[in-house]
Amino acid sequence: MTANRIEFDTTRSTEFVDITDRIRESVRRSGLRDGCVHLQSLHTTLGIAVNENEPLLHRDFENLLERLAPTGAGYEHDDFSRRFDVPLGEPVNGHAHCRQLLLTAFATLLVEDGQLVLGRWQSVFAVELDGPRHRQLAVQLDGDFGRRRSDLPESLVEIELARQLMVDPDAVASPMRRLVEAGGKRLRPKLVQLTAAIGPRNDPLRAAELAAAVELLHNATLIHDDYVDESTHRRGRPTVAAEEGPERAIAVGDFYFAKATRLIAEMGNAGVTSALAEALEAICASQIDDVALRGAFPGDRESYLRVVRGKTASLFAAACASGALLSGAEPEVVAALRRYGDLLGIAFQMADDMVDFSPSSGKPVGLDVRQRVLSLPLIYAAEDRVVGPEIRRLLAGSLGDAEVGRVTELVTSCEALTRVRKEAQALVEDAVRELEAVELDGLRPALVGLALSAVDRQS
Amino acid sequence: MTVQLQALDRELDRLEGLWSDGLSETYRAYLDSVGQFAAETQPKLALAAALIEVGLRLQGLGGRAAPPTTLLMGDLCLARGSRLLADNAPLAVQVAFARAIESMSSAAASEQPTPTTRQLLATALGAGTPPGVQVR
Repeated sequence: MTANRIEFDTTRSTEFVDITDRIRESVRRSGLRDGCVHLQSLHTTLGIAVNENEPLLHRDFENLLERLAPTGAGYEHDDFSRRFDVPLGEPVNGHAHCRQLLLTAFATLLVEDGQLVLGRWQSVFAVELDGPRHRQLAVQLDGDFGRRRSDLPESLVEIELARQLMVDPDAVASPMRRLVEAGGKRLRPKLVQLTAAIGPRNDPLRAAELAAAVELLHNATLIHDDYVDESTHRRGRPTVAAEEGPERAIAVGDFYFAKATRLIAEMGNAGVTSALAEALEAICASQIDDVALRGAFPGDRESYLRVVRGKTASLFAAACASGALLSGAEPEVVAALRRYGDLLGIAFQMADDMVDFSPSSGKPVGLDVRQRVLSLPLIYAAEDRVVGPEIRRLLAGSLGDAEVGRVTELVTSCEALTRVRKEAQALVEDAVRELEAVELDGLRPALVGLALSAVDRQS
Repeated sequence: MTVQLQALDRELDRLEGLWSDGLSETYRAYLDSVGQFAAETQPKLALAAALIEVGLRLQGLGGRAAPPTTLLMGDLCLARGSRLLADNAPLAVQVAFARAIESMSSAAASEQPTPTTRQLLATALGAGTPPGVQVR
């Protein structure tokens, strides 16, 4: 079951708003194949109707409603002197409530083979009875969302990671095991597993092997990153560099870089090997750019996107493409998934940037500011007419606790976080749109769900 | 040699400084180990080996850790070398290179003497190739 809201603004006191296409869009995006769409008006003066979209007929309906429940016909509801707790601005709308009683506040529509079941002349209307207003309808979609291949055998990846670490020398395996066992979202392995189920050669065991190798590769880059960024903690535990020194961190990172590339090569799929090798090169090149740009901190949006595309999005894109390639998916499917991963990776990084300014995230606030890491909220806040000058002045000096605290306060006080949130959401929308033109064999809902969860950093 | 270097121009993006700082000599040294491969892949494989050797040296693997910016340059050398192998080397050679780096980094992590990089990588270039057989 999935749920969402349809929101719209009405422009007249009585109005028939055709929401058929909005419902069709909800069905399409959810991937519901066979089942029901439940609609519920969230208002007492907004009804729902299934009828023909013909303007003169709507006039007839309006006239009918006017005859049955005329405006200003002396409704007791409108006699405010006899009511308690009448809110300020309470409208005179007894007629609208009565008219809603004649309609309905609920509807259930059927879905078959991914299509809304409607007769030739049927459309679905939200019927405004007391407009103009902002309105909401609750939507729930229930039924068969495609085959169960989208249920990820995530435990296979964990078993594969444990198996790989078990055979490695303790000097490298122990630090990596601590990092792996500390958690992480495992988004990249999930992307590999999902996309590896799309083509005709779907093999969950091979997919888990590839997914584990991608996770090891990702963690190897993190170990070096933490040394470069002088980070003391990751996932709530001391970093390898902080705990065991930079020499050990470099060796552990190198070992798992090599091991992961070997495991990937041993899968024997040249396309997969190339896709991930290219991603690793893009990550390393972007790390150099990232550090170089810290001299011009906080930088600009263009530089930010260039770095993020290499540093984060390249591995998301390669994870998607490699899974699809492993499963023998068609080239246009691989290309669409690569674009999906790229957009998702950028959105993910933007959401990650916002966490740095959220006290409820469980992570230390302002760490990116302190380490002068590229961050889109900071870039936008520095451009802000009101708080920008002070932020730029603070960033130009040394950043102690007081300065970091003040910068964080200024960023959260302006529109920067809202802008970034909207931008991340728009990128997720774009990513989901990339999935529309290709046949994903019932896996679209899982990929859409993963995209939405990737930018929802509260969960 | 000029033709070979032109083919490598793109692969030296961002690493031009390293070329004159020892990478070219290392590359030439590996040219002796790639004769069994097709002519057009020889320079790429020699460069891949050279990048990996120089990358590991820049990182300070087995010795004192490089400063962060140098480490990142070393990482890029390793990644590019790895990508060149992925695109041009037979599977056995890719695997042999990875195993060579695994053995060097595992020795470094255990504070054991690290094997000689060039010898290991030159051996890796010969992996899976019977003497006298040209591949790719």
